[in-house]
Amino acid sequence: MFSSLLQKATAFITDVPPASPTSPTSSRPTKTTLFRNHFRLPDSQTPLQEITCELTLPSGDHYAGKLYLSESFLCFSPNPPSSSSTASATAGIGFTLPLCAIRRVERLHSRSYMFALAITTWHGVANSTSSPGGKEERVTLQFVGMRSSCEAFCDRLKRGLRSQMGEVKNLRILVDSCYSEYLLGNSGGYDGVKRTTDGAGADDSRKKDKDPPDAGLGMIFKYPGDTRKLRDRSKMRLWAEYLRANFGVENGRNVTLVRQPTFHKLIRVGLPNRLRGEMWELSSGSIYLRLFNPTMYRDILQEYDGRHSHSIEEIEKDLNRSLPEYRGFQDDEGISRLRRVLGAYSWRNEEVGYCQAMNIVTAALLIYMSEEQAFFLLSTLCDRLVPGYYSKTMYGTLLDQRVFESLVEKTMPILWEHLVKSDVQLSVVSLPWFLSLYINSMPLVFAFRVLDVFFLEGPKVLFQIGLAILRINGEELLDATDDGAFISILKSYFSRLDESAHPRSDNEKLRAVTRFQELMVVAFKEFAGITQNTIIEQRNKHKDAVLSSIESFAKRTQLRNLGPDSRRLTPEELSCTYDQYFGVLYERQGRLQMIADEMEKLATKKKAAAGSGVGGNGGERGRVGLGPTTGETGMDYDCFREFLTGVAKWAVADSVASTPAEPTQPEQSGFFGSYGGAAAAALQRKNLLNPWGAGNPEPADHEFMRRLFRRWDTDMKNQLSLGNVVSGLASVVGGKKDIMGNINYWFELYDDDGDGKVDREGILRITEALLFVTRRGDVGRSDGEEAEWGDERILSAVSGFTRMCFEYADPDRPKKEEGVIKVDKDEDEDDLLELAASSSDEDPLDTPETVSPGERSPTTPHPKDNAKANLALDPSNPLHITLPTFRMVILADEVLERFFERGFAESFKLIPGSEPQATAANPRLMARMPSTPLTPGNAKGLRGVLDGIVDEGMRVAAEVRRRMEEMEDNREEEGEEGEAADAKSIREGDRDLLKGAEADIQEGQGQTDGLHIEKGGGSKGEGRGRSVSYGDQISSRVVEFES
Amino acid sequence: MASRDEAPKLSSSVKLVLLGEAAVGKSSLVLRFVNDDFQENKEPTIGAAFLTQKCTLPTRTIKFEIWDTAGQERFASLAPMYYRNAQTALVVYDITKPTSLIKAKHWVSELQRQASPGIVIALVGNKLDLAAPVLADDDGGEEGGDAMNGGNRAVLTAEAKAYADEEGLLFYETSAKTGENVQGVFEAIANAIPESTLKPRAGAGGFAGGSGRAGAGSGGGDAGAAGMAVNLEDGVRAKEGCAC
Ligand SMILES: Nc1nc2c(ncn2[C@@H]2O[C@H](COP(=O)(O)OP(=O)(O)OP(=O)(O)O)[C@@H](O)[C@H]2O)c(=O)[nH]1
Ligand SMILES: [Mg+2]
Repeated sequence: MFSSLLQKATAFITDVPPASPTSPTSSRPTKTTLFRNHFRLPDSQTPLQEITCELTLPSGDHYAGKLYLSESFLCFSPNPPSSSSTASATAGIGFTLPLCAIRRVERLHSRSYMFALAITTWHGVANSTSSPGGKEERVTLQFVGMRSSCEAFCDRLKRGLRSQMGEVKNLRILVDSCYSEYLLGNSGGYDGVKRTTDGAGADDSRKKDKDPPDAGLGMIFKYPGDTRKLRDRSKMRLWAEYLRANFGVENGRNVTLVRQPTFHKLIRVGLPNRLRGEMWELSSGSIYLRLFNPTMYRDILQEYDGRHSHSIEEIEKDLNRSLPEYRGFQDDEGISRLRRVLGAYSWRNEEVGYCQAMNIVTAALLIYMSEEQAFFLLSTLCDRLVPGYYSKTMYGTLLDQRVFESLVEKTMPILWEHLVKSDVQLSVVSLPWFLSLYINSMPLVFAFRVLDVFFLEGPKVLFQIGLAILRINGEELLDATDDGAFISILKSYFSRLDESAHPRSDNEKLRAVTRFQELMVVAFKEFAGITQNTIIEQRNKHKDAVLSSIESFAKRTQLRNLGPDSRRLTPEELSCTYDQYFGVLYERQGRLQMIADEMEKLATKKKAAAGSGVGGNGGERGRVGLGPTTGETGMDYDCFREFLTGVAKWAVADSVASTPAEPTQPEQSGFFGSYGGAAAAALQRKNLLNPWGAGNPEPADHEFMRRLFRRWDTDMKNQLSLGNVVSGLASVVGGKKDIMGNINYWFELYDDDGDGKVDREGILRITEALLFVTRRGDVGRSDGEEAEWGDERILSAVSGFTRMCFEYADPDRPKKEEGVIKVDKDEDEDDLLELAASSSDEDPLDTPETVSPGERSPTTPHPKDNAKANLALDPSNPLHITLPTFRMVILADEVLERFFERGFAESFKLIPGSEPQATAANPRLMARMPSTPLTPGNAKGLRGVLDGIVDEGMRVAAEVRRRMEEMEDNREEEGEEGEAADAKSIREGDRDLLKGAEADIQEGQGQTDGLHIEKGGGSKGEGRGRSVSYGDQISSRVVEFES
Repeated sequence: MASRDEAPKLSSSVKLVLLGEAAVGKSSLVLRFVNDDFQENKEPTIGAAFLTQKCTLPTRTIKFEIWDTAGQERFASLAPMYYRNAQTALVVYDITKPTSLIKAKHWVSELQRQASPGIVIALVGNKLDLAAPVLADDDGGEEGGDAMNGGNRAVLTAEAKAYADEEGLLFYETSAKTGENVQGVFEAIANAIPESTLKPRAGAGGFAGGSGRAGAGSGGGDAGAAGMAVNLEDGVRAKEGCAC
C-alpha cells in the first residue's frame, strides 16, 4: 500500500519536466532539430553561437541575416530556422560552410567601430594564384551586436577552426570526387563545359591528366532522356556561370557554395545530368555525412562482405527488378553497384534493412551519382526526408497517406466528397507515388525533375505534386466512380506528361507549355501554402491513430500466427499477454535509451565529433507501430523480470530498496515538502535513471525466475520472443489445470541434466522457489469453506516438503551400478502404478495432533527419522529424488497439492484488473499480521510481514544448510558401513511412503506437516534469533530473494 | 464453343486480389492473364497494381478487377486496403520455395477471418516450369535440393493439395512463364463464384452490401490497415469479433 503510494508520488515528481520519451505525440521539433534541418546538418551538430550579421559577397551582394556556429559548421541564413518558413534555408539564401573548408579568417580593420570578419575558403585559396584580384575571393561578415558577444562568437569560431583542422584531408578527398570541381577546376571557360557535356567518351587531349569523377551510371550507359530536349548543355553553362560568379572568381562550389536566389531557380528548371548527383547531395545535406565519414561505405562493405541476412536475401530477389528498362541495370555493372549500396545500407540501418521501393529509388540515384554518394543520400532519405517510409511497419508511409488525404479533403473538398461517395480509396493510388518518390509513376525524366526540387525543399514537395496531379485531373476524376476508372485516368495522365498542356491554344507560348511544366506550376504556385510546417502539424495530428491501427493489425496478425501453444490461452489472455509483452519491451527500450543518453550527457559534456549521424535514426521508438529497433529480437532476462511483475505478484521485489530516498515514515503528510529543491532535482535525476522506470514495481531476481527464463527460451537465444512467452505461459497456466503436469513441470525445471533426478542442491532450490512464489500467502483459491491458510501453514508445508524430500531421496549409486539404478527407477514407476490401483489403509505417516484450532502443529518425528534425515543431509552422501518421489512428496501435503493443482497457475494473472495491485498487501496477511514486531528494526507495515515470511523461508533453508554442515562434522566420526545400511532403509521407507501418499490422495487429506526442525521448533521469535546467529548464510541467501 | 441460345448470360464484375510472398510471380500471373505476356525481370510491385480483364465462360461473363499486391512482409499491413470487398483471392506461392507456402497459409487464414465472408480463395503454386518435367505431377519429387539452379520443386503437389482440400480452397499449379494453367485458374474462379454474390456490371465495388461507409471520422476500431482505416473499416469490422 505504502509502496504503491510512494511509487505514485515519485512518478508524479519525475513525470513533470521531461516529456516522456515514449509519448509519440510529443514530437514538436526542438530548436536543435530545426537548426539541423534548416541547414541540412548531420545529427552531431548543435547550434553553439548565433549572431546577427550582414553578409557581403565578393560580387557586392548584401544580405542581412543570422550567422550560426555549430561544432563543425558556420552557417548563414536570412531567415531564422523554423518549421514555418516556406522553404528551408537551402532553398533560400545563405551558406552552410564546413569549418574545415575555411582557410583564413581575418579581422577587418574597418573604418568605424564595426566588428567585421573576412573569410577565405578552400576554393578561394586554391585558385588565388591564378586570380590576381585577391580581395574579391573573400566573404565579409559584419557583425551586429554587443562587442562582447562578437568576441565570444569569434572565440568559439577560433576554437572550432582549430578542432576541425584534422578534417581538411577529408575535405580534399571529397572535393576531388565532386563533378563541379572537375567542371571548373580543369577548364578555363565555357569550352570546357562543352567538352565535358559531350558524353563520357569525349576525348580531350588537354585533360588526360585527370579523369572526371564518377557521376553515376549515366556516364557509362547514357543518362535517361534526350540530352538535346533536356537542354542539358545550356543548363550546364548556366551552372558553371553561377558557380563561378557567386563566390568570386573561380570560387564557391560544392561545400563552399553560396546559395543565392538563382541557385533555387536553376534547380527548378531541372539539373544538368552530370551535376545532378552533386546538387542532390548538397541540397539534401548528405554531402556532409560523406565528408565526415570518408571510409564508412567501404568499411561496411568490407566488414560485411559475404555475410547473409534476411535483407540481403530480399535485396537479391529485387536486383534484376530495379528500373529494368534502363540499360545500366541490364548490365552487371549497374546490378553490382545496386547490390552493394542496398546491402551496405541494410547493414548500416538494420531497423530499416531493405524495403521494396528502396531498390527503385536507389537505382535512380545511381544513374546520377557514385555508389558512395548514393549510400549517404539513401541514408539521409530514410532518416530525415521520409522517415518511417521504409521501416518494418512502414508507419511513415501510412502516416503521410493519411496526411495526404486530409490535405485533399481540405484543398479539394468536392473531389474528396466524390471519392468518399464512390468508395474510392485515395491511397491505393497515391501510396506508390510517395513510396517511390514518383519514380515509379512518372516517366523517369520527369520523376528526376521532381526529385531535384524534393531534395532541395523537402518532403512537402511530394504532397504539393500529389495535390497538383489531382487538381489538374479533377474534372475527369469527378466522373470516375470506382478505383479502376480512377487509376486509369491517372495512368494515362502520367503517360502524356510531355505533351502540350494547351494543345488547342492559339497562343504559341501557351501551346509550348508541357503538361509537366503545368504540373510544376500548379504544385508550387497553387499549393505554395503547403509548407513543411503544414506537414509536421498534420503528421502530429494523425500519428497516434495511424500507429494504433498499425498496432492492432500487427497484433491480430501476430497472435494468429503464434502456433498451437497459443490456443491453450484464451483470446483475452493472449491479447493481454501481447500488450504486456510489447508494453514492457518498448517502454523499457525507450527508458534504457533515455538513460544511456542521460549518462552520456553526464559523462562527456559535449562530444564535438562531427562523425556518425548516419542512419542513427535518433528519432522515436517505443511503440510497436514504429517497428522493432536495432538488434531487438525479444526480451532478455531483465526485461523478462519486468514482464513477470506485470503478470505475477511474486515477481515483484519485496522492498523498494532501489527507489531512491525512501522516507522513513510513510505516513508523514509532508511528503513532498520534505524535499528541498536540490534534493528533488537529485531525486528526479535518479528516478530518471531508474532502470525499471520511475513508478514501476521493481522486479525480484530469484533463481526460480532464471530457470523459468531458460526453460521458456526454447531457441536458446537468451531472448524470449512473443511466441516463447506465450508458449511458456501456456505451459504453466494454459488449458485445464493438470496437477501432474504441473508437478512434472517443476521437476523438469530443476532436473538440470534431464536425467530424471534432482539432487540435494536442486531440492534446496525447489524449497527456496516454493517459498519465494508463495511468500505472499497465495497457494490457490479455495473452492469451499476450507482453506484460509496462514503463512505459517504454508511455511510448514514447504519445510515438510524439504524434510520429506531428504527422507525419501535415493542415494546416488556408484557409477558401475548404473544399470541397476535404471531397474530401480522402473520399479518405482511400476510401484506407483500398482499402488495407485490398490488402496491401502495403512498410514505410515505421522498422525496429526491438533494443538490449536485452525493451526496444525509440528509433528513429532519418528525416532528413526532423525538418523535417516541426518544421513540424507550428509553432503558427502550424494542423493537425489526422482519424479515419482517428488510427486509423492507434493501429494502428501494438502497445501502443496493445492499449490500445484491451481495455486501456481493462478499466481499468474494475465488479464489485468482481475488482480489486486501487484504490490498491494494481501489483506489476509495484513489481518494476521502479528501485533508484535518480528524484529525491532523492521516493525512497521507490509514490509515487516513480507520480510518475516522471507526470513522464515531463509531460516528453513539456512537450517537445512546448517544441518548439512553439522552432518559433515558427524560424518567424520561415523563409519562408512553404517551409511550403506541406512541407505537401504531409506529405500524401504520410500515404498511405505508411496502407499501412504496414495492413500492420502484418495482420502483427500494429506496431513504431514510439521515444521520439522528440531531445535528451531515453533515460535517465530526463536526462529528469528536463530537466523541472526547464522548471519552469514542468511544474508547470502537474502540476496537471492530480494536483490 | 458454348451455344448462345440460352437465357441471357450473367455479366458481372468481380474484385480479385492477389496475395503471396515477394517474387512468387503474382504480377507475372496477372500479366500472363491480361496480356498473355511474360517478362523475365518484372519490377516488384510497390503498394499494389490495378488491372482488369474479362473472362468469358459459357454461362457468364466476368470482368475481373484485379488488385495485385506487393509481397514483401512489411507491406502486409497494407493488404486489408486491397482485399476489402474482394470476392475472390489468389494466394500464390512458389513451388521452389517452401517458405512461400507457409506465408500463403498465413494469408489464407487472414482472409478467412478478415475478408468478406464467402470469399473464394484459390491456392496457386507458381513457377511450375521450374519443376523437373518428369516429376511435374506426382509426389516423387526429390526434396528441394539446390533450388538455386532452377529445376527444383521444393513443395510437393500432394502436400499443397491436401492443405487446400482441408481449407476448402481451389488449387492449381501454374507457370506464368509458359502460361500453363494460368487461364485455368481464372476460369475456375469465375465458375466458383456463387451466383448470389454476382451483381450487375454497373456499380463495381461494394459487394459487402449494406455495410455502407462509415463517416470519415470513424477512427479507432480494430480495422486492418492503418491510416486508410477510414475507408477500410466497414468491410472488415463487421466480422471483427475477437482480436485475433
Ligand atoms: N521461371 C519462372 N519465373 C517466374 C514465373 N513467374 C514469375 N517469375 C519470375 O519471378 C520473378 C518475380 O515475379 P513477379 O511477378 O514480379 O513476382 P511478384 O509476386 O509480383 O513479386 P512482388 O511484386 O515483389 O510481390 C520475376 O523475375 C519473374 O520473371 C514462372 O512461372 N516461372
Ligand atoms: Mg508484383
